[in-house]
Amino acid sequence: MKKILILFLIWCFSENALSQAYITDDGSIKFISRAPLNEFDGNSSYLNGLIDLDKNLVDFYIDLNTIKTGISLRDSHMRDSYLETNDYPYAEFTGTIENIEQINKQTLQRGLKVVAKGDFTIHGEKQQKEINGRLKLNDEGKLILEAKFKVALKDHNIEKPSLLGYELADVQDVEIKAILNEK
Amino acid sequence: MKNKKYYCLALILVFSMVQTSYAQLERKLVNKNPDVELTFEAPRNINLLTVEPLGANNLHWAIMHTFGTIDNGGQNLWGIDNGANIRLSFEYGISDRWSVGFGRSSLDKVYDFYTRYHIIKQKLDDSTPLSISAMLNYAVNTSNYKFLGTENPTFRQRSSYFGQIMLARKFNKKLSLQISPMVAYFEDPQDIFLNNSTEEINAALGFSGKYRAFGRSTFTVQFIPNLTNGLRPNVGIGYDLEAGGHVFQMYFVTGSSLNEQYLLSSQNGVVGEGFRLGFNVNRVFSLGSNE
Repeated sequence: MKKILILFLIWCFSENALSQAYITDDGSIKFISRAPLNEFDGNSSYLNGLIDLDKNLVDFYIDLNTIKTGISLRDSHMRDSYLETNDYPYAEFTGTIENIEQINKQTLQRGLKVVAKGDFTIHGEKQQKEINGRLKLNDEGKLILEAKFKVALKDHNIEKPSLLGYELADVQDVEIKAILNEK
Repeated sequence: MKNKKYYCLALILVFSMVQTSYAQLERKLVNKNPDVELTFEAPRNINLLTVEPLGANNLHWAIMHTFGTIDNGGQNLWGIDNGANIRLSFEYGISDRWSVGFGRSSLDKVYDFYTRYHIIKQKLDDSTPLSISAMLNYAVNTSNYKFLGTENPTFRQRSSYFGQIMLARKFNKKLSLQISPMVAYFEDPQDIFLNNSTEEINAALGFSGKYRAFGRSTFTVQFIPNLTNGLRPNVGIGYDLEAGGHVFQMYFVTGSSLNEQYLLSSQNGVVGEGFRLGFNVNRVFSLGSNE
């Protein structure tokens, strides 16, 4: 019994084992709208995220009210008319890492391409998404995530301005960058 | 002893469960009680400034335009053939609360310089139930009166001042109202100027309203009863169309004035027959980085 206990404890606090969960609340997220005559981006550094390697859970969300495009009147209209953040304040992704079996301390220290599959929700509309990203474990034991994906407005019933239709791209490019700490 | 062992084991199990039994993150808002925004769709509603602020480093460029009266019908293309008044203006946000601007109206070639300060902002949870802003302006008439064969008025005689306090409340997603006590002071209200008041001091109330009927279409109203000079009130009804931060405003209004001093000191048409078509185009640019 004692032996098992000691083994269990060693396993719990083993230096060589990967930490099981990493978390952040200040990741950065950027969307870029590339329309023929007008390109602009929106940024926030309030990305919250959790990567649990033990459970194979990836969970990220952003409070859409924190996204700034540089023009405050445009931000207000974006929140009010298009994203309707009073009713749908968050964009969220919850899923699993497809190639979880490739993940160990060595591959993460080298940097590893990962694919997360799950549900992406914005404006109250859920969509299945596969997101390609890259995970790297740095010397301080922090997990660095970079990922890019696309969001089509019509997939989520997000309207486009009608008067000047070229103002907003149909498909927005989203880039996220986060440094996750051991939980 | 045995109990103790099980107790230890249970503790360790609980401890290891606490470490891992962790599902989704709890969703939390960054700001639980933000300022109310979009009390009005743009910094201006028809002809009057509102409590709607400009962000820091944002530049608001506007063209305002009124035509002749519509009562002559299609012959004059409902007033579009008649002399229009055009105002161009730029307003720059120094901070999220303070902005400065200047404009030029073609009627009497008036240049005006103004500043707005947003003192109080309405909060989403109604802990602050209304927004209060103040605005001051100085204007100068730059028309040449040489053709009259008299001396041109001096710079001081051409000068006028204006101040207003704007009190506004967004009642819900659809309805916002603003009431603005305002006063204009003319150094020397001469007959040759194209406004009508002969008073130095002209006080009025400005009422602005918007009703967002459906989608991104908003109906707007303005009513400016004069309190001192006996001139007919300015009445306007309009329609705002918002498209991704641009706001296009169309309206019918009973006067051609576009700057504050003249709105308070010009005769207005009778509602119904003295209406003119007008429109504003608003664009906002960013002069800073948004990173």
